[in-house]
Amino acid sequence: MYQIPREEWYDLTRAVNWTPKYVTEEELFPEEMSGARGIPMAEWETYDEPYKVTYPEYVSVQREKDSGAYSVKAALERDAYVDRADPGWISTMIAHYGAISVNEYGASTGEARMARFAKAPGNRNMAIFGALDENRHGQIQLYFPHANIKRSRQWDWAHKAMHTNDWAAIAARSFFDDIMFTRDAVAVSIMLTFGFETGFTNMQFLGLAADASNAGDHTFASLISSVQTDEARHAQQGGPSLKILIANGKKEEAKKLVDVSIWRAWKLFSVLTGPIMDYYTPLEHREQSFKEFMVEWIIIQFERQLADLGLDAPWFWEDLTNDLDITHHGMHLGVYFWRKTVWWNPAAGASPEDREWLEEKYPGWNKTWGKCWDVITDNLNNDREDLTLPETLPYVCNMSQLPIVGMPGDGWEVKDYQLELDGRLYHFASEADRWCFEQDPERYKQHQNLIDRFLTGQIQPADLSGALLYMSLGPEEMGKDAHDYEWAEGFKNKNKVG
Amino acid sequence: MAALPICLNFEGDFVLQLVGVDTEDTMDQVAEKCAHHTVNRRVAPQPEKVMRVRLHGSSESYPRDMKVSDAHWRLTETIDVIFADK
Ligand SMILES: [Fe+2]
Ligand SMILES: [Fe+2]
Repeated sequence: MYQIPREEWYDLTRAVNWTPKYVTEEELFPEEMSGARGIPMAEWETYDEPYKVTYPEYVSVQREKDSGAYSVKAALERDAYVDRADPGWISTMIAHYGAISVNEYGASTGEARMARFAKAPGNRNMAIFGALDENRHGQIQLYFPHANIKRSRQWDWAHKAMHTNDWAAIAARSFFDDIMFTRDAVAVSIMLTFGFETGFTNMQFLGLAADASNAGDHTFASLISSVQTDEARHAQQGGPSLKILIANGKKEEAKKLVDVSIWRAWKLFSVLTGPIMDYYTPLEHREQSFKEFMVEWIIIQFERQLADLGLDAPWFWEDLTNDLDITHHGMHLGVYFWRKTVWWNPAAGASPEDREWLEEKYPGWNKTWGKCWDVITDNLNNDREDLTLPETLPYVCNMSQLPIVGMPGDGWEVKDYQLELDGRLYHFASEADRWCFEQDPERYKQHQNLIDRFLTGQIQPADLSGALLYMSLGPEEMGKDAHDYEWAEGFKNKNKVG
Repeated sequence: MAALPICLNFEGDFVLQLVGVDTEDTMDQVAEKCAHHTVNRRVAPQPEKVMRVRLHGSSESYPRDMKVSDAHWRLTETIDVIFADK
């Protein structure tokens, strides 16, 4: 049968548009769903996505890719890699799946919103593939960990986490609710794909893929490189939207969407990817430090992309760069100290050799973060595990929903950024977190963070045990030290504090 | 007497914490309650020093025998606890 060559029909079909006769344009594309911002249809028709694909191409490529990943999994399942892997690496996978899998599925609804409501025909076309991508990502990242449930109930949190009130789940939901579940199609293309996925794809997927193959985890490496190639494609939907907004006098509005999304995404990386790269991944398998990775793959890349669009770097760029020495170390220490409140087993990553590496990558680490770890280490070596566990909750930020952290030890600098609104005192971890809130107080002000819920009696009994119940963490699920404190042994017989 | 939740920032620590105090507590008692969640957990004790309480970011500490009720803190007010010579 004769087939018309691709180049003769592709441009026509990818940009199919029509003039509605039975309903008005406003009924077909309600503003709150489409977010055209008064820019006429003719302008949206100029949307030009950089990556082009046809449906048959998509299906054949994905089929081959996924069956590759599934067959690697089947083969290695017999090899029982998971039983041999370093516990720090296991924790990495369990944390990743719990934070990501269900949100991938959620992202398919964000893509579907663009596929239906974007006024740009090219965006609608791309987003159909995006919705298929995200549905597959949800499925594959639920299916793979499922095979390990027999090993530990923590693997079940791939599906369970996002349906609980675990603090990390609240933080992730707060972010994804903001950027993909409750925004119009244009904002989704900018906040989800440009702001979050561009960075996230690099961060979590490129970085983790490298660490996974170093750690010998070929199942995980093949899975995430399959996911990453999709992300790299559908993350390109935001750029053309930005071009249209900028060309039509909406530069400031566009920039605000970009900035809020980048800041909020950064906070999520700082708690998820930061500890994994600098602490959980076994020392000998670490490729780059989190900071090095962030600078090379996030900071520099965003600067270039923003400059290409004629946008300035966000006003908080310098704060973000400075925070690369602080925030993720604080998130790690917080997750470790409050380890019972997470569904994975945090690896301390604070052995003498680890600390040498940390000092090299982050000069001054020993005099700052090291001071807190000294106390923890001594307690472990003096049979005072009880003092290495909390009796209260960390204060969490009303924007990121993550602990408010800063530099400890000799460089002590921890700051609370406050805002009083309608008689309520809000606490933020940074100027930028507060700025995000101030861009749209109506949007955020009703939200209750974990502390607000505690203080309004939603957590019972009103203590840490009640908090663990509230977070749905059963005894076999709550985190413990990944290496059973083996790392602290190296400090025995060294000089003791206290 | 009334319970008052506050947001604690302890010198040398890395994180703000939720701590419950009482409006009848003196500032020394507040410092003790705060130290329970911090000192010997992530901050080494400094036995030769005293712990003083101040409003977050302020340069002046409250008198040690001052009562919480006299400090007029807001709900979840943020306070610093610092080590001082006296
Ligand atoms: Fe995805
Ligand atoms: Fe995606």
